[in-house]
Amino acid sequence: MADGFRLTRRWAALALLAPPLAVFLMFFVAPLVSLFWVSFHAPSQTELFGAELTVEHYATIFTDPFYHTIILRTLSTGGVILLLCLVLGYATAYVLAPLPQRQRLFLLLLLVVPLMVSNVVRAYGWIAILGRQGLINSLLRDTGLIDRPLLLLNSFEAVSFGLMTILLPYMVISVANALNAIDVQYREAAQSLRANPFKTFVHVTWPLSSPGVASGMLLVFLLTLSAYVTITLLGGPRMKLLVSLVFDAVGAFRWPLAAAISFVLLALALAISALILVVLRPQRVQGRG
Amino acid sequence: MAHIVLVALAGLTYLLVLGPIVIVLITAFSPTDFFVFPPPGLSLRWFAAFFNTDSLRDAFVRSIQIALTSAFLATILGSMAALFVARRKGFLASLLQTLFLAPLIFPAIVLGLALLLFFKLIGGMPEFIGLVLAHSILGMPFVIRAVSASLLAVDPVLEEASQSLRAGPLRTFGLITLPLIWPGILSGAMFAFILSFGELNTALFLTGPGVTTLPIEIFSYLQFQGGQLVIAAASAVQVGMIAVMVVILERLVGLSRVVRSN
Repeated sequence: MADGFRLTRRWAALALLAPPLAVFLMFFVAPLVSLFWVSFHAPSQTELFGAELTVEHYATIFTDPFYHTIILRTLSTGGVILLLCLVLGYATAYVLAPLPQRQRLFLLLLLVVPLMVSNVVRAYGWIAILGRQGLINSLLRDTGLIDRPLLLLNSFEAVSFGLMTILLPYMVISVANALNAIDVQYREAAQSLRANPFKTFVHVTWPLSSPGVASGMLLVFLLTLSAYVTITLLGGPRMKLLVSLVFDAVGAFRWPLAAAISFVLLALALAISALILVVLRPQRVQGRG
Repeated sequence: MAHIVLVALAGLTYLLVLGPIVIVLITAFSPTDFFVFPPPGLSLRWFAAFFNTDSLRDAFVRSIQIALTSAFLATILGSMAALFVARRKGFLASLLQTLFLAPLIFPAIVLGLALLLFFKLIGGMPEFIGLVLAHSILGMPFVIRAVSASLLAVDPVLEEASQSLRAGPLRTFGLITLPLIWPGILSGAMFAFILSFGELNTALFLTGPGVTTLPIEIFSYLQFQGGQLVIAAASAVQVGMIAVMVVILERLVGLSRVVRSN
């Protein structure tokens, strides 16, 4: 009886795991492996990719100044977004932290719901505000401050600013969860040792909240890399980031090049994630009991 | 003084996050032909235009079909994965957990390209099924997290009691575990639906001529025909669907779970 029981449990466990694992291997792992494989092939006019193996696409990306410009622009957009998200997101979470539970959760919900709304809708909101006939231009025209509409869209600033507001809730929520997990006793201990609020923040609150800051920054940066629709709508045809080049390559049916740019994008994601983790050292908090 | 600055920054956050959505919602009820803010009155003419425009209405219906199908698949597969992974420890379990949760942070644009190429390599895939598969993969982590949270709250003693009464794994699951975790399963399903309904990055690659989703249709309108007000109505429909789902979710699992699941 005991053996039979154990056997059915083991089979039940395997039957549970097999379908989701099979779907993941087939439609997540296998496509990425084949994309990696394709990135090392020569282009072809007739097929998806040529027969011979080559590293020419990676070589192009690493040597062509055009790609350097785009990669630098991607990094600086990400940097501006991270900085603004950190300041606004941390301040917001810090203000929410001492509020009563019910009020705090409701205010957080007001930031979670926009995350569920499609990014294209939120980008459209910024077009309605910043566009030629948009809110700001019509206000300025009505008050007589300008004769001709200001060009606020299609710029580095519009993309950085618009995308920042779209991703900002992730930062607030990550930091708010981390602040909420901090035991009040730590702060009280610091105060009883006569640390002023500034010192308490620097030596107690900030280090203890660093896991939330790190996960918020990771999420914001990784989503910045992928945000093709927002970048295209607010940046226009000229303000291209790395992700736009993936689309341009696909549009030109240069599949191996598109694959190679994708993996450079992934490498960039990994490198910046590692940098964020090294600088913020969230792992030092995990030992707390 | 420092506190005033912090409160001002928090206020700015809410203005910047909610402002654009509120403006789109108000604009959708505008009676004018072009963007005027604030609108001089209220009308439903752009909602009528939305439902009378074939391409938009078709995209809306297809988005709902894809979201329902992919949420269903993600819920079945994600619940299975959660049941396997949630209460196991060790290297293999944490490796599987990492794999299953990877789509949460993986750049979806790369997955979209990889799937498009993969479907071409294996001889083609109908757009609808391709989109359902992509959205199921992206929705599964949300289901796994919601179901795992529910599972970890179930006292294992209850299941052991059932097994000591010689109920098999299936009966124990049906009689004990499932009734206790169904709010988690249902909320995971709704998160998967919401994700699919607004998803852009894989859909950009996997939609095709005649088979698009509402967000992609809105995107191509904005790109090629400018911001006509019918797009504000389409956007308002998107936001309205989400709002209804959030109210249901709040009733189902409470505010704190809704807030923490993102």
